[in-house]
Amino acid sequence: MTSVIPSTDIDLYAEESITSPYEAYKKLRDIGPAVWMEPYQVFAVSRYQDVYDALHDHEGFSSGSGVALNEPLNQKMKGSALVSDPPYHDHLRGIMGVPLTPKALRQHRELFQRLADGLIDSLLERGTFDVVVDFAQLFPLSVVPDLLGWPAEGREEFLAWASAGFNALGPMNERAQADIPTLQGMWGFMAEMAVPGRLRPGSWGADLVAATEAGTLDKDLLPAMIGDYLVPSLDTTVSALSSAMLLLGGHPDQWQAIRADRSLIPNALNEVIRYEAPIRGLSRLLTADRELSGTTIPAGSRALMLYGSANRDERHWDSPDTFDVTRANASSHVGFGHGIHGCVGQGLARLEGHALLNSLADKVATIEVGEPTYRVHNTIRAIATLPATLKAG
Amino acid sequence: MKVLVDRHRCEGHGLCEDAAPDLFEIDDAGELVLLFDGTVPEGQDRQAADAVRICPVSALKAE
Repeated sequence: MTSVIPSTDIDLYAEESITSPYEAYKKLRDIGPAVWMEPYQVFAVSRYQDVYDALHDHEGFSSGSGVALNEPLNQKMKGSALVSDPPYHDHLRGIMGVPLTPKALRQHRELFQRLADGLIDSLLERGTFDVVVDFAQLFPLSVVPDLLGWPAEGREEFLAWASAGFNALGPMNERAQADIPTLQGMWGFMAEMAVPGRLRPGSWGADLVAATEAGTLDKDLLPAMIGDYLVPSLDTTVSALSSAMLLLGGHPDQWQAIRADRSLIPNALNEVIRYEAPIRGLSRLLTADRELSGTTIPAGSRALMLYGSANRDERHWDSPDTFDVTRANASSHVGFGHGIHGCVGQGLARLEGHALLNSLADKVATIEVGEPTYRVHNTIRAIATLPATLKAG
Repeated sequence: MKVLVDRHRCEGHGLCEDAAPDLFEIDDAGELVLLFDGTVPEGQDRQAADAVRICPVSALKAE
């Protein structure tokens, strides 16, 4: 058992570590199962098995005291499913998860496929476009607000809100602080949406409000729960869809393989999410001393689960830095987290991703992509711009 | 080896079916169907363990 946990002066939130994170992640993995990051007062957990084990030990590695790297956000988010432990967590997830199961989402399959076909057709006509604005953002924005029951006004703010929400899950550094006014706008709007009648009847959001009226949910917690639906449903999907276009464009042989065999699509999406995990990591609070691979992390400390690093851990993956849509264990990635807090929206993410990949496979012979530039975001692996052209065939 | 399903946690993502198609099936209604009685048949322990490990929402437990 290790009694002294090593420290590092690697700064995961420096611009370079954000736009090109994978070297830093490897260095952390090589140092040890847990590495103390003094400026952020958190242990970095960067290896696959340790992240997996911690995520599955939700009593020892608790979410109820927050999953961000700063106290103000951790306090603010209490009451959300993300920031809760059983039994309350299970009660919440049982309610908010209902419309998100693959079974419940089936009714939307045709619509999603139709929208995806329309989008790809228009991109084929267009010539060169921006993957982020014209593809990756467009699709979730065209389906998610409606499903949530959002009124038409306020939608233009969605992306900014989602981005601010995720920035704030990191440390309260300059870029998170700059986003606070945006966040406050979002919280104000969410409180407004919690008023009965504001969200479209029959929508997921309206169903939450109805649950508070029926007494199965505490009304005070409603804004946080509405946030549970809104914030994670955009930026993350935008990230994955952008990365999908980048990676499939950069691996034309694999693109042809997918066109020839559509059963590769689900694994391809998993491999995209493994390779470029949309969420870099989220934290946990230790409620007791816990051992990870022989290193004891003391009770009361905070540990950052680095999904982006776990997904590239050479201890778990063969040639982890190789993108391979036929990778046999791609679905074991932790890009959606894992365990009781495993992304409740992953069915929706898959439905969107599969519909778009299907349309692309039907219509597009060649995906040409330029060089991506990355956003400097605390928590999301976010492409800023990526030019692309689709060629029909 | 026994496998227990937490029906409250199961959301029907189907990774168990991919890992152990002889043991788990997501039916046409999107529900998980166990193709065994909970006690893992002879010679399928590895597949069962794979399925338990890969369930993304902790709905499966091995005993």
